[in-house]
Amino acid sequence: MQKLVLNIIYSFLLRGFLKIFVGVKFSKAEFLLEEEQFIIVANHNSHLDTMTILASLPSKIIHKVKPVAAADHFGRTKLKEKLTNFFVNTLLIQRKRDKENPENDPINKMIKALDDGYSLLIFPEGTRGEPEISQPLKPGIAIVLANRPKVKYVPAYMKGMGKAMPKNDNLILPYNSVLIYGKPSNIDNIETEQILSQIQKDFIDLSNKV
Amino acid sequence: MEKLFRFDFVENNDLLIVVGLIFSILVFATLLFFIVGKIKPSANLTELKARTKSWWFMATLFIVATVINTKISYIAIGMLSFIAFRELYSVLGFRDADRRAIFWAFIAIPIQYYLAYIGWYGAFIIFIPVVMFLFLPLRIVLKGDTNGIIKSISSLHWTLMLTVFGISHMAYLLSLPEIEGFESGGRGLLLFLVFLTEINDVLQFTWGKLFGKHKIIPKISPNKTWEGFLGGLLSTTIVGYFLAFLTPLSGVQVVFVSFMIAFSGFVGDIVMSSIKRDIGLKDMGNTIPGHGGVLDRIDSLAYTAPVFFHIVYYLAY
Repeated sequence: MQKLVLNIIYSFLLRGFLKIFVGVKFSKAEFLLEEEQFIIVANHNSHLDTMTILASLPSKIIHKVKPVAAADHFGRTKLKEKLTNFFVNTLLIQRKRDKENPENDPINKMIKALDDGYSLLIFPEGTRGEPEISQPLKPGIAIVLANRPKVKYVPAYMKGMGKAMPKNDNLILPYNSVLIYGKPSNIDNIETEQILSQIQKDFIDLSNKV
Repeated sequence: MEKLFRFDFVENNDLLIVVGLIFSILVFATLLFFIVGKIKPSANLTELKARTKSWWFMATLFIVATVINTKISYIAIGMLSFIAFRELYSVLGFRDADRRAIFWAFIAIPIQYYLAYIGWYGAFIIFIPVVMFLFLPLRIVLKGDTNGIIKSISSLHWTLMLTVFGISHMAYLLSLPEIEGFESGGRGLLLFLVFLTEINDVLQFTWGKLFGKHKIIPKISPNKTWEGFLGGLLSTTIVGYFLAFLTPLSGVQVVFVSFMIAFSGFVGDIVMSSIKRDIGLKDMGNTIPGHGGVLDRIDSLAYTAPVFFHIVYYLAY
């Protein structure tokens, strides 16, 4: 049921809306079908980011990809939590680590989702920033990748989303924007710092391509 | 369903001739590049081939939208304005404080095309140059951010004039009243305008490639030459003369209007080139393979449409 709803929303409605109205240029994401499991790592400027990436995915795997989102923002009430989990298929985590309560710990939650067979969508910049300005990456993604080094990560870069729908403004304006994917890759190293700079470098490479 | 697809253009020989002409040119170009490519494999024809392929697509789309059903044409031309406006404003670098005004500029697009559709000439002709001209600055001023406000106000209105007001004249051609003894009507005029504008682009390009020596405006467009400009001007005027049956104009008038289309098409082209040069872009995008963005293709139309419309409106209506 959820799979059907997600397919209708993302592959059909949102893809059309983003393409024709907003003017997003999608790059093909069919190559993801060859990967069994992956973590999409993307820059974050707008609420449209999650929508755009989900809409770009091949419809067969949309329901297998869980966007990781902040529980304090999207899970403020039980109803909001249920709705986001159903319609955006999110994995809600808290922003701080929780050593005393391992089940609630954000890193453990992400690893568990991976072990359950899901793929993830993570915005390592944490919160949405100014359009086209990259922020330092949070270490969470690196810790997850270091724990599951076999899982490949896929860098994704979006430009223009923060202009189509910036932070602090709910008005969506058409704006020619782009989403491009990099190649799925494994981490070279399990050091947190090194993983982060590897991802940062991928973002810079992609941003030079658009 | 009957209303949706009107095939009466098949009975209208004038329109049919031009539709046939367009497709023969495309067949000719496709064959030409195919044969040249076979004979001289060293010649780099990738871009020309991509362009021709896109021409096939655009011509088919245009003919389906205009000749077969005029109602669809208003929507299709409106979409063209919308995409061109979005393309241009996206690269002009507006401030966050302008977003509300930009929203209203987008709202102006369907209104302008609705005015064209109902054929309310007075409102159509003042809506953007007067109403929006006065209203959009107000919406920007209300935000209270004066830093860079002159640039925002002027570039927003200029973008709207070029991509919406200019292009919408194409749609109003379809709303012009019928003239007795002139069967092709608005569809004929629209076909004349678009065909001549695009053939002028192609001819200026071809003349320039074949004989171009003396640069006409090297600071803006290094590929434009006097030979291309004058050759295009002359040959477009001749083509226009032979297509006079699509218009209600006399021979001399058609020569004049064709000359003006060729000339203003060139102007639209270099104006857009200079904008791109200022921003540091080669093309406005890559929506149409071989051509760039939508705006790269219709930059000359934004100039030829109002010029053609008002000359015809003055002479024949």
